[in-house]
Amino acid sequence: MENDNNKKASYRGYVFAILSVALLGLSAWVIWNDEFGLRPWKHYQKEYKSLKHDKLEKEYQQALRDFQTSGDAKKLAALQTQLKQAQENFKKKEVHDRYLQVSARLDDLKAKIAENQKAMQTVRGQYLETEYYFTKNQKPADKARMDALQKQIDSIDKEGKAMQAKMEPLQQEQLKLMGDIPAIQTQIEALQKPLSEKKDRIANNESAPIEIRQRMISDANKADRCESCHPGMEDSKDVSSKQPYSKHPLSFVYLGNHDPAKFGCTFCHRGQGRATTTIEKAHGNVEYWDEPLLKGGMTQTSCLNCHGDIKDLRGAESIIQSTELIRKYGCYSCHKIPGYEGMGDVGPELTRVGTKVNYSWAVNWLMDPKKYSSMARMPKFFFTQDQAEAVADYLFSMSGTTRHDVDYSSETPDEKLVEQGKVLWSQARCNLCHVTSGRGGNHIKMYAPELSKVGSKVNKTWLFNWIKNPRQYSESERMPQFTFTDQEINSLVAYIVSNFTDDDAEVNYTTPQPISAASIKKGKDLIQQYGCYGCHKIEGMEQVQVAPSLRAQGVTFLKSDEMKEKIGTELTSIGSKPVELLDFGKMKKTISNDRLSYLKQKLRDPRGFRLGLRMPNFRLSEKEINELAGVLYGFTDSNVPTRFLVPSKTEIDKMAKVAPYQFTGDFAKVIETVKCTNCHTIKGIGQDYAPNLTFAGSKLQEKWIRGFLANPDVIRPLLQQMPNLGLKLATVKSKITMPKFNLNKQTVQDTNKSDVDVVVNYFQQELVSPDIPKNIPVISDMSMEQQIAAGKALYDQKGCMVCHQIGASGGAVGPNLSNVGNRLNPGYIFVNLENPRRFKSDVVEPTYGFTERERILLTNYLMTLKLNNSDANTK
Amino acid sequence: MNEMFDKVKKNLIWKSVFRRDYRNTVRDRAAAIFGNVFLHIHPVKVRESAVKLRYTWGMGGITFFAFIILTITGIVLMFYYHPTVSHAYEDMKDFEFQVPYGVISRNLHRWAAHFMVIVVMIHMFRVFMTGSYKAPRQFNWGVGVILLVLTFLLSFTGYLLPWDQLGFWAITVGTNMGAATPLLGYQGPFSEFLHITPYNDVRFALLGGATVGGNALLRSYIWHCVAIPLVSIILMAVHFWRVRKDGGISRPQITDKETTL
Amino acid sequence: MNPFIEIITKPDNIAIVIMIILVSFFMAWAFLQAFQNDKLMALGQGVDGERDQDVDTYKPLVRIELIIALVVMVGLTVWSILVDAPLEEIANPTITPNPAKAPWYFLGLQELLVYFDPWLAGVVLPTLIIVGLIAIPYIDINPKGNGYYTFSERKYAILTFSFGFFILWLLLIVIGVFFRGPGWLWYWPWQEWDTQRVVFEPTRDLSTMIGIDSRSIGGFIIGAVVVLGYLVGGMIAPYKYFKKKFPEFLEQMGMIRYSITMFLFITMMSIPIKMILRLVFLVKYIWITPWFNV
Repeated sequence: MENDNNKKASYRGYVFAILSVALLGLSAWVIWNDEFGLRPWKHYQKEYKSLKHDKLEKEYQQALRDFQTSGDAKKLAALQTQLKQAQENFKKKEVHDRYLQVSARLDDLKAKIAENQKAMQTVRGQYLETEYYFTKNQKPADKARMDALQKQIDSIDKEGKAMQAKMEPLQQEQLKLMGDIPAIQTQIEALQKPLSEKKDRIANNESAPIEIRQRMISDANKADRCESCHPGMEDSKDVSSKQPYSKHPLSFVYLGNHDPAKFGCTFCHRGQGRATTTIEKAHGNVEYWDEPLLKGGMTQTSCLNCHGDIKDLRGAESIIQSTELIRKYGCYSCHKIPGYEGMGDVGPELTRVGTKVNYSWAVNWLMDPKKYSSMARMPKFFFTQDQAEAVADYLFSMSGTTRHDVDYSSETPDEKLVEQGKVLWSQARCNLCHVTSGRGGNHIKMYAPELSKVGSKVNKTWLFNWIKNPRQYSESERMPQFTFTDQEINSLVAYIVSNFTDDDAEVNYTTPQPISAASIKKGKDLIQQYGCYGCHKIEGMEQVQVAPSLRAQGVTFLKSDEMKEKIGTELTSIGSKPVELLDFGKMKKTISNDRLSYLKQKLRDPRGFRLGLRMPNFRLSEKEINELAGVLYGFTDSNVPTRFLVPSKTEIDKMAKVAPYQFTGDFAKVIETVKCTNCHTIKGIGQDYAPNLTFAGSKLQEKWIRGFLANPDVIRPLLQQMPNLGLKLATVKSKITMPKFNLNKQTVQDTNKSDVDVVVNYFQQELVSPDIPKNIPVISDMSMEQQIAAGKALYDQKGCMVCHQIGASGGAVGPNLSNVGNRLNPGYIFVNLENPRRFKSDVVEPTYGFTERERILLTNYLMTLKLNNSDANTK
Repeated sequence: MNEMFDKVKKNLIWKSVFRRDYRNTVRDRAAAIFGNVFLHIHPVKVRESAVKLRYTWGMGGITFFAFIILTITGIVLMFYYHPTVSHAYEDMKDFEFQVPYGVISRNLHRWAAHFMVIVVMIHMFRVFMTGSYKAPRQFNWGVGVILLVLTFLLSFTGYLLPWDQLGFWAITVGTNMGAATPLLGYQGPFSEFLHITPYNDVRFALLGGATVGGNALLRSYIWHCVAIPLVSIILMAVHFWRVRKDGGISRPQITDKETTL
Repeated sequence: MNPFIEIITKPDNIAIVIMIILVSFFMAWAFLQAFQNDKLMALGQGVDGERDQDVDTYKPLVRIELIIALVVMVGLTVWSILVDAPLEEIANPTITPNPAKAPWYFLGLQELLVYFDPWLAGVVLPTLIIVGLIAIPYIDINPKGNGYYTFSERKYAILTFSFGFFILWLLLIVIGVFFRGPGWLWYWPWQEWDTQRVVFEPTRDLSTMIGIDSRSIGGFIIGAVVVLGYLVGGMIAPYKYFKKKFPEFLEQMGMIRYSITMFLFITMMSIPIKMILRLVFLVKYIWITPWFNV
């Protein structure tokens, strides 16, 4: 028994030993792992330090070489000999003895002065105390004591001053005895400073600790440890262009405006700021972390978190470009998107479309808009022929018409009329907005319809009425009303119908066919199901858009856009929607299950996730998909602290209860017809394709305005217009200028003033700046001729011609100044020269810091630059 | 070698700690047990069946050992953890990314907890299969059942503490059952007779609110780290004490059987 | 990844896999030893351990305790190194995960929610489980099988306990962990979870099977008769049977012990009965009252 037990015991001893060793090994592994395996940033920081060391060392060596070659080294040697000399002089016995003597006396004096000051403090304290009692009790005894103390103070003060006076000569003597030593020493230090600074930086880098580097944002409960692996992020110069050692790109914009100590990293870049163990975890590309890292241009989507208005935001260029897509495709028509409320309809009104287009065209368009025009913005709804016909039937039935087509292909056009129309077409610069056969459409953000095949789409009657007054057909139409005569319009119609035709156009209903009630009913259901009313105004459809909550309260008709129930999912916080709430359906296995991939796939194939989805396919390019998904990614219900938020101007105005500007009187009517704000911004309203007219009255001369409206001409070079207009370079063949609106032909009712008068009047009354004087100051000590000559000299001397053109010479960056004397008011030139960014923030022109006199001279010179009318016209 | 052992063993410190030499005599073997505060829970001599792995499976001991591991790792975790809604989850992340040995401590704590639940169930199964609850151990079986329930509750209350979706909804589902308690839960039968609402029922008492929130987190924390461990330790003491007082590890009773030896 | 592998390698579910392995192993070991002992007893020999002597605690017991502690420690350390404890997204009351599962050891109870209302599945049954477990030593009056593995000497006790432990507790946990997906619907391990899946299961109440509205008085009476009849009849019928066949057994038990035992037993059996009613006959409720439903 005992024996057996022992055998077992020894066997168990081995087990015990093996297990102990195993546990020890595991513990060792755990320790190693915790020290190195889980702390990869140690490696990165070491590597960074060595890279930085190399760089600093290189700089130091370079500086050292410079030091030697520039002669500084010789200077230093000379100074050092001088110093030696001076020191030897100082060491001479009589000098040194005297120095010691003086020093001793100085020390003595200093001690005495200290004593004196102490005594002063005591007496002053007593004095203040007595003064307090005196003011309180008004005892004469106190007063007497005060006087005595005052005397004491005076005497102590006198003594102190005397001693101070004694010190000065002694100190001077001391300095004299030291000779040049201090001066030489300072010189040596100054000479060595650049080198020693560089050396210090190397030492500092050497002694920098290897540690977790984090930015704590306590009110957002964030700890961004990104810089533990990216230690060079906040450097002003790259240590290495390689990640993770490089500096933040464009750091003067991004970090400069967002101090990392206040903002951290993850507000903009997302990712998992606390993670330090692996790249995947830190970048948030792991399960249970919904916010993967944003890199490169994608990061700009985060600008939307805080900035209410990104229109002119520096560093947000790519997101600005991308947000344009929302406007282009009108996402806000079906989805609620903050900041896009009340944007108006993307598509044309359809209430009377039956009077406008061919039935066959409508059916084909409904089935595939891109077949008609590759520029079509309308998405594909995947209607079958039957469905498309039903929808068209409903729309046509609204205007009381039948299925009918018109076919002008057999008609012989009136050649003369067509020729006339062609001239008018180019005179009116229709191609500025509209594309025909791949030409024109320079204002691409206007999204005017392509007209290449419009002759096979619409009928002549409608076209005539439309050109005459677009708003008669649809109140909210953006197209300006040109003041053509009926004869002119007829010629345009003839030109359009005969020229812009579609050879493949179907015309199946030249003999009209009645519409069945069943089809109308089906069409209405389809329209409601797919929410056509989101983008198009369709009368009678308003009640279906009333939000259910309001419908419950008995509201049956929409009064404002806010009450509208959007057919699509709300996108207000799509960028932070939890991934669990996104239905990947059939695509679960096909695409990676994160939010961005979902958004991209949704845009690529909106109905691909499962049956029964309604969103149409916009057939976006992959680039557009990436851009749009990037924007949507930025719509978050952000957890950004309110102190970061930058409200937009409209939001500020709303908060301050400032009503938006409204045009008044006859000018409002002009704006309504000509749609000036399609291109110009006036008092904060409108687009920025053309110059801002807010201060046009102060800026422009009346005569010039009249001339320009009668016959618009190019002022600004293309180069400058391009970024604003988004021009397609290939399509730009003609110079871009304002269309001619024939305002002088139109007269306001009951007066004999023309619209031009109205415009000029409004400009001069309303669109003026109090900062722009009518006249400029006068220089009395020079004749006008002298002033002009001096101004010209100044113009040449400052190199203005590099950018501006006068006559045939000069650059093409700034506006042509050949006729500036006729165009601008002197006051405007005078003020603008002081600070060119005063009226337009993104002007290229530098601020030269001209004196007032110089500005007067320049203004007077520029005002002489005038072309006579005939010159202007031939240009 | 022996010399070295001698040097280690024959000095004041060794003697002060172990008090006597061990010479593998009966007396010394007994003294090793009763002279040691940890071991003296055992009798000096046990039946061989208590030593046989195939009989006890060591399950009770493993459960207790898991409890010790949980206590130690739990204390480590408590150093870094704040039971507040704003910090709990971030503290969990910090365990993973910043706290020295945070990952291994949390992993050990979690897996040891699961392990303890498994082992304690197997322990119950073993005790049942060997009939060890029978006289005179009936009472100790009852104590054991309560310890089993406490083990579940320990694990359950710990589930919420990371304040993640997993724990949050597990606790929400779990405590919703409380709302169905007859008479005392607002969804339970007959509760209307006691005017029970979501704001005064059992679940409210469990969570410190009508939903899982900051109060529930704090309550979980206190139950998990203070109250239940305290009760468990007391009951464990009773349990172990009664194991010994009830005659040690159960064994076949041979009184009424004729041995064929 | 294969959904089956995905589901069993979820960090928390590894514990369940370990549990299945351990429990199966020890179940087999227990019954193996029980049958061995039974065989020994049938041969008239003593059971395992009957002839055991006393041994010193130091070192045999202490050593084996240390070895076990080391094994556990090594095992847990390896487990902790290989698998990281899960941490999902931060708690968000607005996003309910589908399915929302209780901690794994309570999934048996959550599974019962399919068959019983929460007051039964979540409160009454767990309470009865605890009470029943504590009551075991007092209602099991069989003196045999104390201190050794045996099956033949306590067949009924072991079968009942095993049924409750393995089927009603552990199997339901395994089902809850591995076979329940979104909407608490049944998913085979190779099936993909689909949050949109809707299964329409027409359910009815017991009395509607014979054409009586379960919410009417008639339905109420039928339900009451069935439920109370099950409880009372389930206790009286065996009583009659035992009285006839084993009167001495009944005498040993005593009236109180018999009723408690029988009550606990038929309550336990009501779980599989209700499960069958629900799964096979699509019965939702047996008895509908204004206060509670059974």
